[in-house]
Amino acid sequence: MRVLVTGASGFLGREVVRAAADGGHEVVALVRPTARLDGLAWPTSVAVLRGDLRQLGDWTKELSRIEAVVHLAAAPSGDLPTQFSGTVVATENLLAHVPMKSLRRFVHVSSFSVYDYASLGFRGMLTEATPIDPAPEKRDAYTITKIAQERLVTAACEAAGVHLVVIRPGAIVGPGKDWGFGRVARVGAFDLIFSPGARFPLTYVSNCADAIVKALDAPVPAGSAYNIVDDELPTYGQFHRLGRRLRGDAVGSALYVPWFGVTLLGGAVSLVNALLFRGRAKLPEFLDRRRQRVRWRPMRYSNRAARMDLGWAPAASLEVAVRSLREEHEG
Amino acid sequence: MTRLRAAVIGCGAIAHEHLPYLSSSPRVELAAVCDSSKATASFMRDRFRAGAWFTDAASMLEEVRPEVVHVLTPPQTHAALVTMSLDAGAHVICEKPMTGSAAETETLLREARRRGLALVESRNLLFNDLAIAIDRLATNGKIGSVREVDVLLSLDLTAGPFGDLNLSGPGVHLPGGAVHDFLPHLAYLFLHFAGGPETVDHVSGFLENRSGNARVGFDHLDALIEAGDVRGRLRVASDVAPPAFRLVVRGTDRSAEGDFYNPFLRIEGGAKIGKRAPLEQIGSGLKLARAGVTNFFDKVRQHGTYHGMPRMLDAIYRALQDREEPPISEVDMIATARLVDRIVALGEEA
Repeated sequence: MRVLVTGASGFLGREVVRAAADGGHEVVALVRPTARLDGLAWPTSVAVLRGDLRQLGDWTKELSRIEAVVHLAAAPSGDLPTQFSGTVVATENLLAHVPMKSLRRFVHVSSFSVYDYASLGFRGMLTEATPIDPAPEKRDAYTITKIAQERLVTAACEAAGVHLVVIRPGAIVGPGKDWGFGRVARVGAFDLIFSPGARFPLTYVSNCADAIVKALDAPVPAGSAYNIVDDELPTYGQFHRLGRRLRGDAVGSALYVPWFGVTLLGGAVSLVNALLFRGRAKLPEFLDRRRQRVRWRPMRYSNRAARMDLGWAPAASLEVAVRSLREEHEG
Repeated sequence: MTRLRAAVIGCGAIAHEHLPYLSSSPRVELAAVCDSSKATASFMRDRFRAGAWFTDAASMLEEVRPEVVHVLTPPQTHAALVTMSLDAGAHVICEKPMTGSAAETETLLREARRRGLALVESRNLLFNDLAIAIDRLATNGKIGSVREVDVLLSLDLTAGPFGDLNLSGPGVHLPGGAVHDFLPHLAYLFLHFAGGPETVDHVSGFLENRSGNARVGFDHLDALIEAGDVRGRLRVASDVAPPAFRLVVRGTDRSAEGDFYNPFLRIEGGAKIGKRAPLEQIGSGLKLARAGVTNFFDKVRQHGTYHGMPRMLDAIYRALQDREEPPISEVDMIATARLVDRIVALGEEA
């Protein structure tokens, strides 16, 4: 299929382009005008289309023969107007110009962030059936915009009768993105590690890219959603120890705060916020009770549906993933 | 008290500063929001509990018949939208700069006056704690006769959307480039603390592009202004750190200095200062430390640079309800626009 990949030069996009081309697809990689592509080593068959989805331009004229879309483009940082423009308005522009009526499939890459973590209990199982957060405005701009983006794509695909598959990855790791090996903050020579016994729902970037490419032609019902995490999920404590073993120079000694302490801290800060600031204080993630729950509450994760329906299996092991982080460092 | 029916055209970043007031004030019924992006308009309707959303301003004006319209779109679209709103019988609150030239601004103000409607250009910084505090000092005679007003904005204008080279075309469609978008702030602060002269005597200096970023237009300003007994220096610098928005008002008796981004207020001078200057410096240091603590808590409770916006809007809505003159006068707006014109001309001269 002739597949348009948006956000193609991003951390995940560059792997998706490679995996889709290796899978025999004719890939059109949409990258921003200033994106640097040297070093990406994409196959020569990949066609590069330059454009910015936030603004209509010549890119809109190059989409007529597209048969499938993998939509990765988003603005994951900045304030709400910035993220809204780069995630939601960008998606609106894409949907207005891609030939929806003739599309065979639309693979939308969403996030674990859209889920309602308050609906899950301690050590609860996060699945595709977990509800979407009904109050994202109480979380952060990323959650707000990823939910708005997913709803926009779903509505447009339903209206046009396009076969939509939603992929919701956990924390994507790979060269250049090690999540600080689970570190919340650096305190002198120590790394503050919250909830060391909780699982870190990671997926290695090439594993995640494989799942996305599988979603392009897997025989799954329209509107299906799949959570993507790898098979071997380390705890935050284990992930940090792996990092320390590999990159002792950059990773400090662990200072553990168990989940009970984390939630107690969040509760105390929440009380102070309510009493002194009428709940208006904008708190960093590690002090915000709602966001603490998303990130550090011990939970269980499953990739069963993706394995069964997409025929996907994470090819790279945890060891390979972590080794790649070391190689990146050494490189 | 009857609420005024308000509508917003343009739901970009600055709308997030207007809409919290409009959705919570007892003076206002937020009737509609409008944006060319359907996703944005519907999102903002939900977020700020507006009555309706539109993607076409003309349709909104016809269907909703708002009494007050906030024009919050990019500057080059203001004139047409302000005119359309006035034609629909609405008072207008327009983001700065209202237009790209004083002549256009004066035309719009004339049109508003002819229809018996208010047209107000935003001056939110005059309603910030810092400006109010310096105003109070000046009003109480603590500063003496004002002789110098300096304003420095140090902000990397190339880092934001103005200089984003992924986007095509100019970052802002104004003759003074990205600097022009901020110039009304500098101009009205100078004029306000200089005592409100309607004209200035002399403007000299430089308006340049120093970054080489073509999209940003002008990113550097250094202008000297003289207006009667008052002189001033207005600067915009994109290449110095940290980001600051500094205001210094110097008078015959005292000087006051503060910052809009990281607020503090330092007052120097007075009749008995001389050998006691070191003591005054120690006092200033203690006040600076206290300002740091206040600043920290202000950031926590999100009392940011735009905290003057709801005060300004409330003053405007109160005036509209009481059928009084708005707190920002036509004379002030024209004087500001004319000073901005003269500063922008420095770029043309270059």
